[in-house]
Amino acid sequence: MRWALVLGGCLCMAGGVWAEDEDSRGSLVRVRASIQPYDQFRPWQKKSPYGLNGTGVVLPGGKVLATAALVANRTEVGLEKPGSAEKCAAEVEAIDYEANLALLQPVDRNFLKGFSGVLLGPALRAGDKTEVWQLEKNGEMLRNQAEILSAGVGRYPSDEAGFLVYGVRVSLPKRDDSYTLPLMKDGQLAGMMMGYDRDSQEGTAIPVPMIEHFLKDASDGKYEGFPTLGVSWSPLRDPNLREEVLAPKSGGLLLTRVNPRGTAGRAGLREGDILISVDGFKLDEDGNYRDPLYGPTAVGNLIRTRPTVGSPAKFRISRDGKEMEMTGTYDRKAREEVAIPTLQFDQAPKYLVVGGLVFQELTGVYLQEWGDKWSERAPQRLVEYFTFQQDKRPDPEKKVVFLSQVLPSPITLGYQQLSGLVLLQLNGQEIKSLAELAKVVDSCASGNLVFEFRDEPGKLILNAAELPASSEKIGKDYGLRELRRL
Amino acid sequence: MELRFVKSVLILLLPLLCGCGNGDWQLGEAKKNVVMVEVTSQTWDYRLPWNPGTVSSARGAGFVIDRKRILTNAHVVSGARYLTVQREADPRKYQGKVLFVAHDCDLALLEVEDSEFFSGTSDLPIGGIPELESVVSVYGFPIGGDRLTVTRGVVSRIDYNSYTHSGRESHLAIQIDAAINPGNSGGPVMQNDKVVGVAFQGFRGDVAQNVGYMIPTPVIRRFLKDVEDGKYDHYVDIAIRWMALENPAMRGYYHRPNDGLGVVVTDIFAEGSSDGVLEKGDVLLSIDGYAIESDGSVRLDGQPVQLEEIVERKFAGDTVELEVWRNQKLEKKQITLRPAEMFSMYENLYEEPPRYVLYGGLVFQPLTANLMAGLVSGADLRLRQTYTLFGQDQLYKETPEPVILTTVLPDRSNVYLAGLTGQVVREINGKRIRTLADVLPALELGGERSVIRFEGDQRPAVLKKKEVDQVMPRIMTQYGITQPNRTELGSRRLPKGSYQQEGESR
Repeated sequence: MRWALVLGGCLCMAGGVWAEDEDSRGSLVRVRASIQPYDQFRPWQKKSPYGLNGTGVVLPGGKVLATAALVANRTEVGLEKPGSAEKCAAEVEAIDYEANLALLQPVDRNFLKGFSGVLLGPALRAGDKTEVWQLEKNGEMLRNQAEILSAGVGRYPSDEAGFLVYGVRVSLPKRDDSYTLPLMKDGQLAGMMMGYDRDSQEGTAIPVPMIEHFLKDASDGKYEGFPTLGVSWSPLRDPNLREEVLAPKSGGLLLTRVNPRGTAGRAGLREGDILISVDGFKLDEDGNYRDPLYGPTAVGNLIRTRPTVGSPAKFRISRDGKEMEMTGTYDRKAREEVAIPTLQFDQAPKYLVVGGLVFQELTGVYLQEWGDKWSERAPQRLVEYFTFQQDKRPDPEKKVVFLSQVLPSPITLGYQQLSGLVLLQLNGQEIKSLAELAKVVDSCASGNLVFEFRDEPGKLILNAAELPASSEKIGKDYGLRELRRL
Repeated sequence: MELRFVKSVLILLLPLLCGCGNGDWQLGEAKKNVVMVEVTSQTWDYRLPWNPGTVSSARGAGFVIDRKRILTNAHVVSGARYLTVQREADPRKYQGKVLFVAHDCDLALLEVEDSEFFSGTSDLPIGGIPELESVVSVYGFPIGGDRLTVTRGVVSRIDYNSYTHSGRESHLAIQIDAAINPGNSGGPVMQNDKVVGVAFQGFRGDVAQNVGYMIPTPVIRRFLKDVEDGKYDHYVDIAIRWMALENPAMRGYYHRPNDGLGVVVTDIFAEGSSDGVLEKGDVLLSIDGYAIESDGSVRLDGQPVQLEEIVERKFAGDTVELEVWRNQKLEKKQITLRPAEMFSMYENLYEEPPRYVLYGGLVFQPLTANLMAGLVSGADLRLRQTYTLFGQDQLYKETPEPVILTTVLPDRSNVYLAGLTGQVVREINGKRIRTLADVLPALELGGERSVIRFEGDQRPAVLKKKEVDQVMPRIMTQYGITQPNRTELGSRRLPKGSYQQEGESR
């Protein structure tokens, strides 16, 4: 995963001013996270741990807002009061990797007693003056003058989603605990900084409407996330294309793909429809609606940030030249009900070792383990399943189980070189999950285990009777305490 | 590890080992027959397929084989527009001509019109496969001077290796510890007064030292025999995949005793030689009477070589006999061999000009290795996967030649289409596009608009025919395009495709 944020690496000297007023006290807290991601290539173990230090925003009521990037793959999260070494462990109450936000709760509920907390401020617009707050070593506040350069839909570090994002110009000095920093306006929270480039002195921030959405969702103790439409679309500027698809006089987007499980698909929208308006907001040819605050804004904000999961959705479409209304309910099914999950952080990867054959369930996190060029370096069949999963694995219940590697042992003789093979069947039974695979393996005490793969070499055979002894030996030889995590 | 063509740089010095034949006689014969080949060649530009391409010059070696023809490497003469040959100790350069070129095995035959050139040459006898650890001499004109250079090396390995010139082929090759340097290419490797190979490639960089490769005589003989009928045909291929039958449980599953023999067929390529004859799960026990070991090797002339070597020495229309273990019964199968067209997309193209169709600033090109090399990092994931999985997934059955929208030449008529470059064309005006030849007829279909649809969830491209007719002359003038399309197949071989001709739906 590509978290863009390395605020701590900033070397520039800049015009911060010392905070004199008492308002800024009791609003920030240091967040110390120790991170230890799972090793996707050796799913039975974790990688080397490291620490991340950020600055969290204390909310009224004593909870702390931070970015998800700061606490993803954590083993432990601690809070520390500025100006004193007083520490307290914290729990993650809600986390959203797409929106890059996390809500922390100190284990000692009274830890932040006496902190007044920060209120959410109004949404900002391009040109607004603002501040980025940092903590000095002694706990004093450093306020850096900042300016909002842009407010529009942009990429978030999870590389998954487009959400509303502020472009911020600010000159940040190098300080500790800068992995996450608050963007403030008149003593109120305006956003959370999530990325910074010290060369251009520009950064990105998660705006307050996103934070509001996140906190509202988390307030009932059941976090649901940001809704999605589940469509791919193309702008409709090209007059030739407009003519071909019988587009209305102006505006509208061409839906080039509609996931039948998503909000739009379940409301009855289809590939080839022209989406004219959403919840009464008219869409122009480029996919923008007129936001009351931001002006022309990408439709992503309209459908993702404004509504919540469960709220009603209203679409106006044109199909074969006829306009019609369709209604539905916003949900996240297009993102969550998938065969190959993307944002599976914090979760131990599943695996099953069968006599030296290592099987795993495909996730986006596994593929990203291949590095920046994962789409070129990872086994191409796995990339294909992941990238085109709407075609390859439309059924979310059908996970992609694959042979990730072979631990050489006497019974895997001749199989050592194999990897990246998608498993289709075991003994004629279709395998839809790792748990299912384990069940079939366990039910086989004698005879052959005939694994059938999507690709070369097609079939691999193990003798079931040899498995127990062999598995034990593999566990011992390779130091695996568990041969499965399902 | 990267293999390279030997076209430029470096001198090598080798310890001179002795014990190989009559050194004086051999050197004398070499001096008579080894020639320097200087070539000016042109390389097509797949990004601007209408252009004649870039011109470059290089030097290689060759040798007279029968007092009238010169054997050299295909990569020395590919794309040759002008070539001269020159003998050792004769300052005169004679103009030569490519008679036959075989890119799959990197060999070519040249002729020289002026028979004066051949006076004093002899018949260099072609020998067999040299023994491991025996000493061979390499003759050529590596950079550093213009005189014949001799180096010696030991035969280090005899095995299958990729022939990098073709981009996909592997044949028998002999590794020697004399480095083969640019300028050595095409020169003879001799032992005991006989030619035992043609020097052709080495290693680049620091990955390995003193590693050179030569084309062994079975490959040379095959080439010379192939061209006897006046044209070169491609290598044939058994067109299967097999797996070593080493695992005891797997041997048990296929009911084979633990005798170290046999490989299991794991895939059969449609339209290939074995299609309809072999089946997945067949255990191959022998080929033309040679027992197949469980690692897929056969003993040929006392040497273990991959079983494909039996096929390699044959020609299109020849047969191989296989002993096949199927359903616990021994069966005899005969396979009539033919080239594997389904993999021809992965071969580098040299002589044929790039094919394309220009339509209102949109350039359509068939997917080829050359095209992919030109795109490098710019390739869209779907395009890359279409290329990578084309053979493996037998996509050629449906689309023998995927067509790509490679370029949108900016013009005021196509300003909204620029984002569609790199897309794989699925259909034009409702007609499924299976080869480049389908493009122009499909564009003729339909009414006033042409609708081009792509694989995946891309928007279609819509062009007005009247407008295209209007802008074509302008675009051609502006971009210096001399002809609006080039669709003749030439010598390019395509898979046949086994799709439904009629009643198409998609």
